[in-house]
Amino acid sequence: MSGGYKQQPGSGGNTVRKDGKRVAGKLKFQPPGAGGSNPKMKERDLDFIPESVGGKEPQPAGSHVHDRLRTGTVVGKEVALVDANPKVIGKAEYGDDVRLGGEIIGKILRSPHHYAKIKSIDTSKVEALPGVIAVATGADAPKTFGVLPVTKDEHAMAIEKVRHMGDLVACVAAVDEETALHALNLFEVEYEILDAEFDPRKGIEDVDEPIHWRGKYHVGNTNIQKRVFQEFGDRSLVESPAASSSRKWRFEGVHHGFTEPHAVVAEWDATGRLQLYTPQQVPHYTHRALSTVLDVPMHQINVIRTFVGGGFGGKSDPFPHEMCAAILARKAGRPVRITFDREEVYWINRGRHPSYIEVKIDADEQGRVAGFDIDALIDGGAFASFGHVTSYYNGVLATSPYELGSFHYTGARVWTNKPASGAMRGHGAVNTRCAVEVGMDEIAEQLAVDPIDLRLANLLPPHCRTITGFRITSNGMREALTKVREGSDWDNKFRKLPLGKGIGIGCGFFISGSGLPIHWDPNRFPHATVHIQIDMDGGVTVHTGAADIGQGSTTAVAQVVSEVLALPLDMIHVRSHESDTSPVDLGSYSSRVTFMNCNAAIRAAMEIREQLLNAAWEMTGYHPTTLVLNDRRIYYKHDPAIGVSYLEALHKAQEDVGALIARGAYRSPPMGGVHKGAAAGLAPAYSFSAYVAEVDVDVETGIVKCTNVWAAHDCGKALNPLSVRGQIIGSCHMGLGQVLSEKMVYGRTGHLQNANLLQYQIPSVHEMPHVTPIIVESSDPEGPFGAKEAGEGPLLPILPAVVNAVYDAIGVRPNTLPLTPDQMWSDIQKKMKELKIKDPRKLESPRLEHGNLQPVLEQRAEEHRIRDGKRQRTEDTSAYVNGALFGFDPNIPMEDQVEGWRSATEPEPEKLAELGIAGKAWLKQEQRKMGGDN
Amino acid sequence: MLKGYFTKHRLGPIMVGEEFVNMIPKAKGQIWKACVNGDAVEVIALSNAVLLDVLRDNVGTLGVKRGCDLGTCGCCAVMVDGEPRLSCLCLAGDAEGSEITTVEGLADGHHLSPIQNCFAEYGGSQCGFCTPGFLISAQALLNQTDDPSEEEIAKAIEGNLCRCTGYQQISDSIRAAASILRGEKENKNPTITPHSNPHPTGPEEPNMPPGHAR
Amino acid sequence: MLMPAFELHKPVSIEEAVALARDLIDSGQEFDWVSGGTDLIPNYKWHINTKPHVISLAGIEEMKSLSMTEIGAGVKLSQLEVSDEIHPLLKTAAGKVASSLIRKSATLGGNICLDTRCFWYNQSEDWRRSIEWCHKADCGTGADCRVIPNQNTLCVATYQGDMAASLISLGAMITLVGPDGIREMPIEDFFELDGMKKNVLQKGEFVCKVTFSEEVSKRVGAYKKLRVRETWDFPEAGSAASWIPGDLSSLRIGTTGIESIPRSHCKEIEQHANWNDEDSIFELSQAVQKSVKAVNNTILSPRYRKAMVSVLTRRAIEEII
Repeated sequence: MSGGYKQQPGSGGNTVRKDGKRVAGKLKFQPPGAGGSNPKMKERDLDFIPESVGGKEPQPAGSHVHDRLRTGTVVGKEVALVDANPKVIGKAEYGDDVRLGGEIIGKILRSPHHYAKIKSIDTSKVEALPGVIAVATGADAPKTFGVLPVTKDEHAMAIEKVRHMGDLVACVAAVDEETALHALNLFEVEYEILDAEFDPRKGIEDVDEPIHWRGKYHVGNTNIQKRVFQEFGDRSLVESPAASSSRKWRFEGVHHGFTEPHAVVAEWDATGRLQLYTPQQVPHYTHRALSTVLDVPMHQINVIRTFVGGGFGGKSDPFPHEMCAAILARKAGRPVRITFDREEVYWINRGRHPSYIEVKIDADEQGRVAGFDIDALIDGGAFASFGHVTSYYNGVLATSPYELGSFHYTGARVWTNKPASGAMRGHGAVNTRCAVEVGMDEIAEQLAVDPIDLRLANLLPPHCRTITGFRITSNGMREALTKVREGSDWDNKFRKLPLGKGIGIGCGFFISGSGLPIHWDPNRFPHATVHIQIDMDGGVTVHTGAADIGQGSTTAVAQVVSEVLALPLDMIHVRSHESDTSPVDLGSYSSRVTFMNCNAAIRAAMEIREQLLNAAWEMTGYHPTTLVLNDRRIYYKHDPAIGVSYLEALHKAQEDVGALIARGAYRSPPMGGVHKGAAAGLAPAYSFSAYVAEVDVDVETGIVKCTNVWAAHDCGKALNPLSVRGQIIGSCHMGLGQVLSEKMVYGRTGHLQNANLLQYQIPSVHEMPHVTPIIVESSDPEGPFGAKEAGEGPLLPILPAVVNAVYDAIGVRPNTLPLTPDQMWSDIQKKMKELKIKDPRKLESPRLEHGNLQPVLEQRAEEHRIRDGKRQRTEDTSAYVNGALFGFDPNIPMEDQVEGWRSATEPEPEKLAELGIAGKAWLKQEQRKMGGDN
Repeated sequence: MLKGYFTKHRLGPIMVGEEFVNMIPKAKGQIWKACVNGDAVEVIALSNAVLLDVLRDNVGTLGVKRGCDLGTCGCCAVMVDGEPRLSCLCLAGDAEGSEITTVEGLADGHHLSPIQNCFAEYGGSQCGFCTPGFLISAQALLNQTDDPSEEEIAKAIEGNLCRCTGYQQISDSIRAAASILRGEKENKNPTITPHSNPHPTGPEEPNMPPGHAR
Repeated sequence: MLMPAFELHKPVSIEEAVALARDLIDSGQEFDWVSGGTDLIPNYKWHINTKPHVISLAGIEEMKSLSMTEIGAGVKLSQLEVSDEIHPLLKTAAGKVASSLIRKSATLGGNICLDTRCFWYNQSEDWRRSIEWCHKADCGTGADCRVIPNQNTLCVATYQGDMAASLISLGAMITLVGPDGIREMPIEDFFELDGMKKNVLQKGEFVCKVTFSEEVSKRVGAYKKLRVRETWDFPEAGSAASWIPGDLSSLRIGTTGIESIPRSHCKEIEQHANWNDEDSIFELSQAVQKSVKAVNNTILSPRYRKAMVSVLTRRAIEEII
């Protein structure tokens, strides 16, 4: 054996003792992992270290509990997504890019009928076809699943009934696509056709064959899936309003329109475990549902999230085709790949609910909002999906940012024989928000005041409770409104532009993570968990279940770990694709990832930080409180030359334990009221936004073009301003699609007529206005470094801003979306008839003479500005509850102060007749109260 | 259709046994040759094949994405003889013998092209699914001009659909790449450039605390 | 999406293409022509009226001529939109077709011969089966029209080619070639009022080029296209007008995107020969509008599309005077 290997490490080479004996030398080990570029520590980036800890970063909203963790490394800086490179070189693997050896192709047989009973399925001819390897029908997987535990109403394939055209009936796997598609023709299915219903307004009537049956909880014999009633506040305030707006809206269904169609690959590996590759926003729910449907324990399933080619809520349900792939693969003993055609994407849908919404807003003589009356009938399609929650969101997410005298909401979600609606960006809040904001514009007009001033004089302050009991922490609404007003030069444009040109305002309010994890008790298991592992090489591996769907959650997690540990981003490696290695996470929905996952990641990083600081303490003799973490070094704050490198500290910390491992979890604080449905809409923080849009309306053709948008969004703290801006602009684009051109068109036969990207009209680059994103940072006290969501909230305000701008341009207030040219044209024709004019070019755009109320509102807004500033910086920590504007004392229960104060979740029987179309759902009784035998 | 009306969902003639094999209509397979990303490629493709299918399933350039398969989304764009084309609407037969560049062919080994680096750096890519198509359209534009106007950029990418970015940061990326091509900016280093050393040295002047924090 | 099985033929000359067609006809085989493929391939992917043979005209160099008086059918729209050789109106119109990526493949001939469109027809096979097919692609079932049930034999699918309107307004002649020789006719005579038959092409015949008289260079024209998005969308209505400045009688108007064929509006112009001020132009535009009929089978409502014909025509005329 040649020499060179020393058993005993140490310093120095071989030495010879005095007695002549040779002793093995003690060689100094080079720290493993050392090498690479920039071997010199960078100076601290004081511009990104908050003022409160001695840096230069301004903190207008006050200091934050995470300030002491800031090292100026990446937070607040524009960074490229950490997974951008695989995407730009074409190496990112999406669902259909997973190609396993020996794969076979799965195809799904879909229902040609809208609603029918399945009498029989004969698969014998399919099985006899050479090349067919596996066939499955509903009988192979009789267990139900669904994204919400309360409404599990889906099967892998139809069991007794098909409920919409395109519903899954059976599936087949064959050696190639030709054979699989051909095999679909050989299924013999006998159907008994039932009366299909496509009109949600008929969903509250009794029918012979409800689309689902909920037993004793079924409402009458109707197709009502969920109904909601909420009444809060002093209803006497709306009895004699000074201004009142009441509008009936119709919103068409819209689809997420992600560019990647659904795809799934399933393989049962040699150990008998299922490996399922799927582009999922919420892999964990798929994991759960697979376990139920396949009757396999969760630990025998590994769900691998591929890159996700856009989600927007459309890839967050556990899907039947995922079950189908697993079932086929189990039968075939080979990997099965199922990829959707674009049309199939529309069959599985889960887009925004087509809705009929009526909003009535009353204001009193002081320009205060006396009441919101909202009635929302939403078309759920054939399955429940997220609908239970959507039914609430349509009302409760309208209770802020304005202070309300009263709030009255009736909502109903009904089943129809259409592809299921579900969660889509801005879940449940978008349509009502549009109606509310347009109503506010109308109120402002009636009161002869500026709509921005009306809003500014009615905002809830930071750190308050809404009328239904949501706890609002940071609130950047006022700043957002002020900034878009300035940015857009509003005061010189509003009601002053020539015919055909208009400017409009809209606000938004959205949850930053839902307060309750829907599948478990939040006290028993956290919302999010993150693991960090660092071995001797110094690279930081972060394990998280957060699903990056392009919004940049992986980057955000990497950023916060990098910030706390003061390590460059390239040393942080996020592993988030596999359920085997990722701690359980609820996934990417309800805009929870930045808030919850980053908080968990910060906690894990803090644990590592402490271990490193303790090691440095041992090595330098300086107490951790006097040590500073900066770019890969830990040093004495008064003398940076005294310190150790990150690697030295790490090795010291590892001496006895090996790799450092830490975990952090996030759990939302207890909050919210106790009434039925109090949990819906609860969130640890809320985002606020205000947009001003400018439009050009061609009065002759009705074509609306949005030209400019000033978009201010309060995201708490922009961890990565590049991403936040990307989210804001992207939200504008998606919202603009809904307001201008996108709709799912169901023709007279109930068939979806535009299940393709040519006729489902998503705006192109030419339809995009110039968007000026304005980031408002209200520094949320509980958010990671103050951050809140930025992915969904920014979508909300664009709709009303455009609708209000259209009114400013031509004096026509539409109440049917989208504002397609033909829709707009017929609205204009109606207006012309009303005004008895022949030429649309003779229309007049509205003008504004400020009334007496204007100075009153301006003064109140100014007082509130001072109030809000103090509360935001916690100079004023007194309680504030919705109602204070109306003179109520926040410290005494409302019911004790006002006789008429109500807080109810069921309607009073004598008032049933007054309710709107969704409210009519309360005319029916549940089966258990009807004495029914079910 | 009336309630109670029975239909049989039975399509196509029913046959059993071997006859089915003949029933599955399949086009003739032929040798298809082209030069894909600089490599001579020879695969067996069906006579009716569409370029997208050949590239994904036979050649293996999975960076070419199938979004709508009908010519709207532009995710499948590739360059055929220097012109951007929708591979989903291009018969493989018509592209035979041509020079094809897919997104995989834009980079020179570890040296990403300016447009690739800029899409990463300026937020041009979020979910990334439409990115390959946009990169091809953008590169085709930059091959024509290194100083594209706002309208030229819009026209170049009007056939590509992006649902994430709202196109604005895509335009930013293209403009930034153009400025690299004009020599006003440096392209980023190749991806294998050595990364951070976890064992850096501290400051040499002990009296100058960098970022002295309280 | 799986392409139907077919054999692709790639002739390199008109002669070879005609010979191929003749052979296939003689052997009783059905076939389709394809050039850019942007119209045919989506229909094939949906398995609409597919044929066992497809002859690609893409490789025929003879069909790529480009000048003020002659444009080959094989010229790509992307070439037209940047060409200074051709009439500016055609340049503009070509630039308004679909998207820049589509135009890189799509050809003039293909756009002229565009299949008529209808939302009961441009759907997948499963979808169409679910409505029990339609008149235009009845799969042997003799299915009725879904747009206007119980009507006669005509198909009302809408012709949504952009170029036709401008070609009509410029007085283009179209040249067809086939096993029975060469034919030439005014472009408006090329179309046949039936969404199924679409045009006068006989079996084995194809469009080889469009030609213009020398006078065309004197013409000034404009094309107005109605669509929701400034890219991708087919015209929901389109109107092109051109004239030789100063000569009222030289006005020609072509409309497209409304009916099963594009229309020439000589009759309406004759009736309003004195279109020289705002009112008379308005009346002429109204007359053009009245002469067309839209049905409910595209994205926007037929009432609206029809109403827009007047606006588009008026704007086109206003632009050129």
